[in-house]
Amino acid sequence: MRLRFSIFLVVLAIVWAGAGIAAPAQTPSAGAAPSPHRPPGFLVLDGVDTTDHYSPEIREIDLDGLKKLLLRDPKDTRPLLINFWATWCDGCREEFPDLVKIDNDYRAKGLNFLSVTLDEVADKTKAVDFLKEMKATMRVVLLNVNDPEPAIHAVDEKWDGALPATFLYDREGKLVFKYFGKIKPAELRAAIDKAVGSKQ
Amino acid sequence: MKKQYAVALVLASFAIIALAAVAGSGRNPSDLPAPPAIGTTIDDFKLPDADGAEHSLKSLTGKNGAIIIFVATKCPVSNAYNDRMEKLAQDYKTKGINVIGINSNNTEPASEVKSHAGEKHLTFTILKDDGNKIADRLGATRTPEAYAIDPSGKLVYHGRIDNSQNTANITANDLREALDEVLGGKPVTKTGGAAFGCTIKRVS
Repeated sequence: MRLRFSIFLVVLAIVWAGAGIAAPAQTPSAGAAPSPHRPPGFLVLDGVDTTDHYSPEIREIDLDGLKKLLLRDPKDTRPLLINFWATWCDGCREEFPDLVKIDNDYRAKGLNFLSVTLDEVADKTKAVDFLKEMKATMRVVLLNVNDPEPAIHAVDEKWDGALPATFLYDREGKLVFKYFGKIKPAELRAAIDKAVGSKQ
Repeated sequence: MKKQYAVALVLASFAIIALAAVAGSGRNPSDLPAPPAIGTTIDDFKLPDADGAEHSLKSLTGKNGAIIIFVATKCPVSNAYNDRMEKLAQDYKTKGINVIGINSNNTEPASEVKSHAGEKHLTFTILKDDGNKIADRLGATRTPEAYAIDPSGKLVYHGRIDNSQNTANITANDLREALDEVLGGKPVTKTGGAAFGCTIKRVS
């Protein structure tokens, strides 16, 4: 009996070890080839890539501005993905390349991506530099509020402000996916696929 | 027979892994158990400090209560509050309410918690919550995040320390106001508040 149990443990250990090794390989898109789709804002003039000269614009919004963005233009029936981040947030910076890829992959399929930075106004250039480094071309706004609570609860009553936070609304404006913490790209992509109505 | 048994074992362990994977995806912080409601009693727990010495919540609670704050060494928001947390600890120690820090980030080992506290002159006890068990039990998601308990162990406040990372912009001192109400024997008016913070880095 004792022997059987130790066999069980050994087998378990081997399988677990295997799972542990396999796990990192499942992390999608690490080091994957860049998307062939060039987002607007990147120009190739006379064969010269002007990517380095691309300067992202960050508009400042207040609580009302955020509420307006959440309500959306009724004529705009694109699914809406909102990611809240800040340059001071490790998890946000770590997940950003995956979000840039998602933006690149899904923009043509009708995904409306809104990126909201919680950096201080004084740190706006830090955010701009980060977006440049990320080659990010999604719409970015800076939420400038003195008290963050009404803004956080305008997005989600259950959210307490932990960053990063990601929300996906379908064409009808219904919240269909949310994630607090660093996103798992495969999970988010699956939710977006459903929201944009593509067949994988 | 033995072979069949081994196959069964392998299958069983695959099933366990599959279950673990499901449980793993359940680590979505959006799906964390809800934090205890205001008014519920926080069960006593034991955790080691950065030197490895065990403390219970009960032993650290002052005669008028305790403030548990989930902290971090690397989170700039938590770090923006270092001086304020130390001041809070000093101000309320004399009033019988003790500040207890808890570091639940799996990316920040006890040695780092210790050196960080030394550098930032944090004198209150900081406990190391390996495996984020207490963060899970209290439904803590971010740093800094505060829980105030009264002397009987009842939760009276859960949320932000105040409304701004930048001390110049503070207009709502939610935690201090709650503590002062507790000390004055009054019910707490505002029992919590949301603010942006760094997600606690849990074990995966």
